[in-house]
Amino acid sequence: MEIEAAVSQLRRGDLDALSPLIARYQNRLYRYLLRLVRQPAEAEDLFQQTWLRVAEKIRSYDPARNFDAWLFTLARNLAFDHLRRIRPQSLAQPVGEESKDGGLVSQLASSSVGPFDQLLAHERATRLAGAIENLPMIYREVLSLRFEEEMKLEEIAIVLAAPLSTVKSRLRRSLEQLRGMLDAYGTGVRE
Amino acid sequence: MSHSDEHAEILKQLPLSAAGSLDADDEARIARHAAICPDCANELERWQLVAAGLRRLATPQPSLALFERTRTMVVEQLAAKAEQRQNRIALTFLVLFSWAVTLVSWPVFRLATDGLLSIFDIRFRQMWLLFAIFSGLAWLTGGSAALLVSMRRQHERRLEL
Repeated sequence: MEIEAAVSQLRRGDLDALSPLIARYQNRLYRYLLRLVRQPAEAEDLFQQTWLRVAEKIRSYDPARNFDAWLFTLARNLAFDHLRRIRPQSLAQPVGEESKDGGLVSQLASSSVGPFDQLLAHERATRLAGAIENLPMIYREVLSLRFEEEMKLEEIAIVLAAPLSTVKSRLRRSLEQLRGMLDAYGTGVRE
Repeated sequence: MSHSDEHAEILKQLPLSAAGSLDADDEARIARHAAICPDCANELERWQLVAAGLRRLATPQPSLALFERTRTMVVEQLAAKAEQRQNRIALTFLVLFSWAVTLVSWPVFRLATDGLLSIFDIRFRQMWLLFAIFSGLAWLTGGSAALLVSMRRQHERRLEL
């Protein structure tokens, strides 16, 4: 089912339309929330809360707008409220410690072919993921929206409720900080 | 713009170029500059490696049950909220109904018992006391009925789950 059709159906109050929408967005939305809160259990809880909010607010959604941006805005607001309540410091400062289970590190994939290449790629991906996890939340967020969700800067600006210039500078700073960390690890992009 | 100024300006834009977030004019300017500036060309390549790494990050998978759990939770929560809304409406209706019954029945009561009231010589203050008791009873009855209906429904829902 097309997104527009499912959204229209949901706007008419038909909850059967939820299934295709959740299925369509479940990996992307969960990934985004996990990048923000870094804890799988919290991300899953926020995932559920987001869809509840979608079902409640769908009548206020303007079909002329981008549904992705609207959905991610709802998710972001819930995640920020959650973080403000649970870990307010995470909204402003980088977190020094990595998650106990290695977080995203264990879930990184490799696109190389040979075992040795795979090992090298895995190591780099591990360091990259580790560096991302140590970035401030607002930087992790903008990187996720740009590189994983492949949103345009204009769409990111809608989700962040920020001017385009802010999005640009935040994206540039997040990349610069990430590269600084990779260089500090002694691997980065020079190998 | 001097070469060094342009060089500094281009260097600043390289991260955004690697992120694919510049417009066509800026991209063309960077390409022209990189063609004659090995430092910038090298730097751009490094940024592109970082960007490529970011694009290759694997998607973390949610637990398998999340989909069904979410769907069920949303349906249940919406049903519960709809029921709360209905209960509020029912309660409001009952309260209004109680008031209407009170207001309408009072003149009837007065008419029907006019002789009796005159015997007891009920004064204005006593009349309002009676009115207050009468209203209170009506409210209490309506509220209790709404509460009982609500509790009954909640009990039924719990049994269904």
